[in-house]
Amino acid sequence: MITRRLQYELAGQVTGPILMALENYRLQRRRRKHAPKDHPFGPPIACSRKMKDLMSIYYYQGRWADGAVPVAWISSGFPVELMRPFGFYAVYPENHGALCAARHMMPDLAAVAEEAGYSQDLCAYARTDIGSVLSGKTPLGRMPRPDLVAACSNICQTVLYWFRTIADHFGVPFFILDTPYVYGDFKDHHLDFVADQLEELAVVARDVSGRHVSDEELDRVNRTAKEGARLWGECLDVSRHRPAPWTAFDQFFHMAPVVTLRGTEDCNAYYRELLDELNDRVARGIGGIKEERHRLLWDNIAIWPKLRELSWLFASNGFNFVTATYTNSWRESVPLWDLDDRVGSSAKMLSNTLLNRDLRNRFRLMRELISDFGADGVVLHSDRSCKPYSVGQYDLKEAFTRELGVKVAVIEADHADPRQYAAEQVENRLQAFMESFQ
Amino acid sequence: MGRTTIIEQQQRHGRKVMAVLPIHYPKEMLTALDILAVELWGPPGPPRGPDVGRIQPYVCAIVRNALAFLAAGGADRVDGLLFPHTCDSIQGLATQAPDFGGWGKAVFRYLHPKGDERPSARRFVRRELEHLAVDLETFAGKPLRPDALRDAIELHRRIRELRLRLADRRAFLDMTDRELYTLLRRGEFLWPEDHLAELETAVAGLRDEPVQRGVPLMLTGIVPEPMAIFDAIAEAGGWVAADDYAGLGRRLLRDEPRLRDDPFDTLVDLQFAGPPCPTRTINQTRRLEHIEGELERSGAVGLVIHEVKFCEPELFDVPLIRRLMAERGTPVLYMETELEQELSGQAVTRLEAFVEMQAPVRLEVR
Repeated sequence: MITRRLQYELAGQVTGPILMALENYRLQRRRRKHAPKDHPFGPPIACSRKMKDLMSIYYYQGRWADGAVPVAWISSGFPVELMRPFGFYAVYPENHGALCAARHMMPDLAAVAEEAGYSQDLCAYARTDIGSVLSGKTPLGRMPRPDLVAACSNICQTVLYWFRTIADHFGVPFFILDTPYVYGDFKDHHLDFVADQLEELAVVARDVSGRHVSDEELDRVNRTAKEGARLWGECLDVSRHRPAPWTAFDQFFHMAPVVTLRGTEDCNAYYRELLDELNDRVARGIGGIKEERHRLLWDNIAIWPKLRELSWLFASNGFNFVTATYTNSWRESVPLWDLDDRVGSSAKMLSNTLLNRDLRNRFRLMRELISDFGADGVVLHSDRSCKPYSVGQYDLKEAFTRELGVKVAVIEADHADPRQYAAEQVENRLQAFMESFQ
Repeated sequence: MGRTTIIEQQQRHGRKVMAVLPIHYPKEMLTALDILAVELWGPPGPPRGPDVGRIQPYVCAIVRNALAFLAAGGADRVDGLLFPHTCDSIQGLATQAPDFGGWGKAVFRYLHPKGDERPSARRFVRRELEHLAVDLETFAGKPLRPDALRDAIELHRRIRELRLRLADRRAFLDMTDRELYTLLRRGEFLWPEDHLAELETAVAGLRDEPVQRGVPLMLTGIVPEPMAIFDAIAEAGGWVAADDYAGLGRRLLRDEPRLRDDPFDTLVDLQFAGPPCPTRTINQTRRLEHIEGELERSGAVGLVIHEVKFCEPELFDVPLIRRLMAERGTPVLYMETELEQELSGQAVTRLEAFVEMQAPVRLEVR
């Protein structure tokens, strides 16, 4: 235990940072040797390297987390800020699925799950993660074994089935945080149910971690988490300027800390630095793409394996995604976050996610984003792997066209499975969409 | 009599009619308020209108067909629509149809908790039932009387008891599977007392000696559609000895909760009393134990996993069920059917081959 803890701390504070420094040095040397390629983007965001370091060290440290600290595998909508004070190292299977997809490892890992009987019709993140768990293969080198698996239904019910499968595989406790779907306004008895479960979670977290945590400590981390989400929201809001200093494709990467490290000072420090840089780019008129002629809203999860191709396609035609419902999700509840009512406001925030509320709310939110960010078009990613995000998109398309007069395109794809991406079909559709702006 | 006739007949008796999406809901409460529940499992067959295109083809056909049916006016005869919180897609339909077109009458939702029974979930179910009761009272135009609710609980308990007797004594029932499942599925739209009368007639027809001959099978899945699956099994020489379909076997209770003074407490007990169903995200170990128990009780020699395409809650359990069956040495046939289409020739051939392969095993068992 002591040796393991030492390895864990060394990885986070000594070996991890050293390895990152060496990697950065190697990359700098390589860049010096090669002339920069012509591209349609603005200058790279300098903070990106720091974000990569932050996340790489976090993942690297995770290799030694089990046995050193309690480990929880949790869903992206789970309140990590309520787990962190108990000393949990948090693993996000969804982030891991996205990482595998971006690194083009998804098909091989999914094949392992499919071979074990998991249908190709199931969420690609789930298949990727289950394949990773079954094969032991991961781009992270090693994933720490969980002591607890916990999922919140506020993004989908798929995470409940998927995480239950993982908990069952490892033979560890599985905690469900069930957030009743919100049709219209919040209902008191729904919020009370979520609050009740948060009290149950505190007991489970205490029992699994063996650690008693004071209200003061919970409040302190909660305060830090709120500040992180607020800073992330400020970073997003900078894109109201023209040209927007970054793109939603950039945001897809930079959102990692607010999802994973929310509630830590490292997360907040990072977003302060990013915010300064974005504001500086605004002051100097630097855009996320070289020539921003049209501004778009992206709906649904990123198409991770095709992010590069799609960002090039749009940027080279002068289209910038200035806002996205996906990246907005980690800031939308900040106004509901009451530091004097940790449990009550957490219950409300957890219930308030985009995917836990009805289509009217989604339409209202997207209309606000379109207005606030001056978007003149919308791309709806109809995501085969994410039914709750995708059901209703054709109706939203009709409503946006009819009521707002904005141009809307729907593309059929998948957030992780490249086998569900018909490049020619998607590009033809998008070319036609972009031509309609001329 | 078909659904339309039944609906009109019940409305003439002054009853309200509620279309109900799958799967789990407090039917006792509707009965106590004189509301006829008519379950909407799609309906199966080709989509009834162009609105099917409003939902992506990678979403389960129960939901896509339901939207097409509602938007085409197929359910206009009923007075309201109830959406239990079954899965992401039904949850989405519960906002899409009322908010973006397809349904303009009264809408109700019943959000049952996910996961195993725990104190918070019991408290939530209780309050969710109380809220639903208030909404349904307005809809029905009458108060929910405790004695009426107790009577309805007793009526549905009696129905489950008879259905369970038919399930347990299936071998002694001189009906084809198609006939039996047609009878059982009439419970999806008959007034409960009328369904009870039909069940009593069927139970009275139970023989003293087994009449079912052939290979006994167990089926699991969401809904037995297309029903031609039963004809294919029969023609191949098999019969359904047990089922774990969400709308059928998973509604039977082997341990009925005792009646409580407060009928709402009984409804809460009933919410957690059913066999494990993945749509409620129940512990997988319990689900496997249940399937294994049903196999042993019924003497079924093979398991047919019969899924509707794109049904996520069901699909996640399939590998574990397969693994358990492999460990037991119980043969498994996995079939995915399209709700919109007839049973394919390929599916019939696979069923035939599966049943034929189990025949020697059956002889050994007997």
